[in-house]
Amino acid sequence: MTFTVTEENGTIKGVMDGRLDTAAAPQFAEDMKVMMENADKHLVLDMEKLSFISSSGLRLLLSLRKETMAKNGDITIINVLPEVKQVFTITGFYSLFQFK
Amino acid sequence: MQRELILHNNVKQIGPLSEFIEDLCDSLGLDTTLTFNLNLVLEEAVTNVIMYAYPQDEDHTMTLLAWTEKDENVIAFELKDQGKPFNPIEQAPEVDTTLSAKERKIGGLGIFLINQIMDEVAYRYEGNSNILTMKKNIKE
Repeated sequence: MTFTVTEENGTIKGVMDGRLDTAAAPQFAEDMKVMMENADKHLVLDMEKLSFISSSGLRLLLSLRKETMAKNGDITIINVLPEVKQVFTITGFYSLFQFK
Repeated sequence: MQRELILHNNVKQIGPLSEFIEDLCDSLGLDTTLTFNLNLVLEEAVTNVIMYAYPQDEDHTMTLLAWTEKDENVIAFELKDQGKPFNPIEQAPEVDTTLSAKERKIGGLGIFLINQIMDEVAYRYEGNSNILTMKKNIKE
């Protein structure tokens, strides 16, 4: 999976492209550090091209969510595919994030 | 129908595993959601073996068997490894999906997803092997 981060008007947007599986998780942990450092701001995760997620990926997203709570920032997830969305639903993660 | 895949205890094996599942689901004409969910379940099960069954610095293998039952109405998987005895069903921590982000713990999600998606999940230790069997009804 590739993760591309851009900043626009104080919002930090990360575009996820590919599969976030156990093999991709260590690289994503590295790539999302910039989000962790900016967890006091508005963060947006664009999941339009995220074709797969497993628990390894959910764990990292949970740690990012915890970081935004600690620093009074927020995260919005946009354009999530139905199959990925149901993983959030099954695990109860859907209510932990804002979806648009 | 019966297929077999041998995997090493390395996260790089998730790629070949995913191809194996896609092929299998294609040949059975399964829809996108079911294919996604079976991919997810098998990744979680194989990841458990990679992370916990063997010491990380040793090369070992596991065997994944897939077959259909009841006139192709049920798909079944058996994942077998010779690592240390580990019952993922009993030893998985409880997952409370109603907790807030602050309270949610990081862990136990893999086996939780397996249990939620599959209709039957069973573990046995037999002949020095961990054997995890998972079945799912694939017809309405």
